Amino acid sequence: MLKYRIALAVPGAALLAFGVFRLVTQLEGGDLFALAIWLAVAVALHDGVVAPVTAGTGLLLTRVAPAPRRYLQGALLAGGLITVIAIPLIGREGTQPRSKAILLRDYGGNLMLLLGLTAAVALVLYGFRVVRDHRQGEGP
Amino acid sequence: METRTSRPGWWPHFQSPLRSTAVTARLGRAVGICFAVCFVTGMLSHYQYHPWTWLPEPAHPAQAYRVTQGLHVATGVATIPLLLVKLWSVYPSLFRWPPVRSLRHGLERLSVLVLVSSALVQLTTGFLNTLNWYPWPWSFPSTHRYLGYVVIGSILLHVAMKLPDIKYGLQAKLVDADVLTEIPWDENPLAHSNAGTVPPPEMPALDRRGLLVAAGTGVGAIVLTTIGQTVTPLAGLGLLATRQASKGPQGVPVNKTARSARVLTSARAADWTLEVVGPRPFTLTLADLESIESVSRDFPLSCVEGWSVGAQWAGIPLIDLVRRAGGDASSRVDVSSLQPGGAYNHSTLQGPQVEAALFATHLNGQRLDLDHGYPLRLIAPNRPGVLNTKWLRRVEVS
Repeated sequence: MLKYRIALAVPGAALLAFGVFRLVTQLEGGDLFALAIWLAVAVALHDGVVAPVTAGTGLLLTRVAPAPRRYLQGALLAGGLITVIAIPLIGREGTQPRSKAILLRDYGGNLMLLLGLTAAVALVLYGFRVVRDHRQGEGP
Repeated sequence: METRTSRPGWWPHFQSPLRSTAVTARLGRAVGICFAVCFVTGMLSHYQYHPWTWLPEPAHPAQAYRVTQGLHVATGVATIPLLLVKLWSVYPSLFRWPPVRSLRHGLERLSVLVLVSSALVQLTTGFLNTLNWYPWPWSFPSTHRYLGYVVIGSILLHVAMKLPDIKYGLQAKLVDADVLTEIPWDENPLAHSNAGTVPPPEMPALDRRGLLVAAGTGVGAIVLTTIGQTVTPLAGLGLLATRQASKGPQGVPVNKTARSARVLTSARAADWTLEVVGPRPFTLTLADLESIESVSRDFPLSCVEGWSVGAQWAGIPLIDLVRRAGGDASSRVDVSSLQPGGAYNHSTLQGPQVEAALFATHLNGQRLDLDHGYPLRLIAPNRPGVLNTKWLRRVEVS
């Protein structure tokens, strides 16, 4: 395994060093500083806000009974990921000249539609589960 | 274990049985493949803008850039949710105790910090760029490229460091693999490697397979509802797609409008001429454009932002003008626009694209819209949209 690790680490370290070198030498001082802020804020936002909120939601969900929780967790995960992509679109909706044909949709409405679909699928799957458990409970 | 008891009482403890190296390795494999695709297609795009003289871009297949850049953006967008789930799966590792136990451990954590922050910024700025949103002062293309080296380099480094864990994670079954907590497996008395065969962790609600299915459903929904801006038959599903080709003038979106290029007057001037410079220089007037026999070609317009659309162009083959000016297929052709200033008010053609390119007067059966480059624009196959210079003013054959 060691030779594979070296074969990955050497080009990896070289590419990383090259990228950092280019950033440091090619970007002007102010731009480099702004990029450093972005890099720091990205980690702080993820590790300090997004991840704890997700973990906290997970903890709250443990109060729900396991059978429905399964589908609630799945729907919240899929819906949350879709929402992450939709939010910037909603923020930029209708900001550009017409002939660019960009950001012309009702992204808020479309997000609600997708979240509604996600919830509906989870409900239907949960419904099947309830019916199946009920039948198994009755026995043949 | 000593390290566990010596840490502060308030230190967080993670116990969700959903987290496991088996889950992380599978998510990491997907994220790694996506970043590799983005890196390769990104470098191909960079080459379109800065080709070596001795290796010019091919003209065929005409759709090549449409495919590679569509893939670049679609993959990058899909990587955003994938990366978030991947980071969720390893969040406990942020709370190792003690935070740094040796120089090697410190360097490893530093490399993970570089990987996480560069990957988050790379994906965020890349996505915002496709929304024509630039809330940063630096030049996007070069910084995106340099950050690309940082991301792909730190991924390779990360894979090298985690190779034993990856091997375990990919071989282990989802149902019974060790739970990933803030305690490293080699110090965890409950890990398989320390406790022998242990019963699978209980997952009464969502289990690990369900987690991957739900995450995959979210990513799949995002891809399906955004890809229509590249794969035009799926345009109808594009609930979250940025571009809608059909809403553009003549069925094709533009990025630079005539107004923002400040050519509203110059492009509509009755005395417009095209100046052709070469061994035998000449000029073309608007009347000349009408009288020259035109040909029709199907070339896509493919933007670096990932959107693209097939279109039918009609106009004069560039090679005819080049020959008339005393050049041939091996000439270098520089074209420039009426647009004053701007990084893309000129472009260069060499090699196969010189023979394949068209100076278009018509788009989808109509005289070019002003926003599409009236009275005359360049269109060539396998070429980023912004390099198909609009509102042509001058051609230099050398």
